[in-house]
Amino acid sequence: MVGKSLLNLAVFLFFSASLAWGDKCLSPKVQSKVYSTSESILSSQTVFVVEFGLTCKNNVENLNLYADLNGFSVPATRVEGSRGKYQVSFSDEHKKLPSGQYSVRIFDDDGFGELRKAQRLNEDTSGIASLFEVKISHSGASRSFIVQTEFVVALLGIVVWYLAFNAKSKLQA
Amino acid sequence: MKSILFLAALVAIVYSEELEESRGRILASKSVLNNMLVESREVTVEYVLFNMGKSSALKVQLTDNTFPADQFEVVSGSLQVSWARIAPGSNVTHVVILKPKSDGMFNFTSAEVSYLASEKDTKETLGSTSAPGLGRIIAFQDYDRKYSPHYLDWLAFTVMCLPSLAIPFMLWYNSKSKYEQIKTKKN
Repeated sequence: MVGKSLLNLAVFLFFSASLAWGDKCLSPKVQSKVYSTSESILSSQTVFVVEFGLTCKNNVENLNLYADLNGFSVPATRVEGSRGKYQVSFSDEHKKLPSGQYSVRIFDDDGFGELRKAQRLNEDTSGIASLFEVKISHSGASRSFIVQTEFVVALLGIVVWYLAFNAKSKLQA
Repeated sequence: MKSILFLAALVAIVYSEELEESRGRILASKSVLNNMLVESREVTVEYVLFNMGKSSALKVQLTDNTFPADQFEVVSGSLQVSWARIAPGSNVTHVVILKPKSDGMFNFTSAEVSYLASEKDTKETLGSTSAPGLGRIIAFQDYDRKYSPHYLDWLAFTVMCLPSLAIPFMLWYNSKSKYEQIKTKKN
């Protein structure tokens, strides 16, 4: 009798555990591709696009994922027509996304709940376990040239002319 | 009698508005974040979906079939995406980077959006994004002529200028140093 109830308990525990793991990704494998704006002469805003493919050991699909970049969080976009592919996009003014290293943290439902709670209470969020991180090294969408080459060449011409003119006036003096 | 009918109509309107209010409602915009469009240079297209309704919109799909494969190459991002749920009062952003394969006029038209406005709905609500409109894609040569630094051209220009500057300078410098030699000898 005791053995049977123990078995029942074990079965119950097993099922409840598998339910709890139902939409949790175990040992995620990630392939990611990052794009960041490089030319500000063409683009009016700096854009980060992170595309990633996610495969889990327990074959979970259609997860609800969220991305966080410096305290700004968005739901991850699912790519239609391909399994386990997601996309995250961020856009802001050039000044607000200067060159440097960025880290996009990806959370599942549980992690995102914790993150939101910590954000509400103004707590440090760096301790919250994310599913994984994607690094962005943004080289900056700076204007390619501060001065035009025409200006540099004109300046050089004026300097040469000044030297020659100086030498000439010294000769004639 | 008339006033009762009017009242009934009013109630009906309020009732339907209440019904409307408990549904999700997506406003979608599509915009091109470019100062200018250049052939074989990146074009950034941004979609912003905002749920202005009172409840979440579910199974939101965004499909953009307006970029034919023979005119555009997708650099980054996908043109067919979905979100499981967009909460009321929140927005999502989606970005696609494309490269135009040729120059000329191109009409940026609207993408399609479909979603379930409430949990009970089985029929999708269809909508479309705003349309950025007609844009002119500049040929790469024209863009390059205007905005590239032209290093090689200026280098060639300097080299061509050099003989007409250097030869007179050398002649003058030679005679000058000769004259100065004589001057020092005399002293």
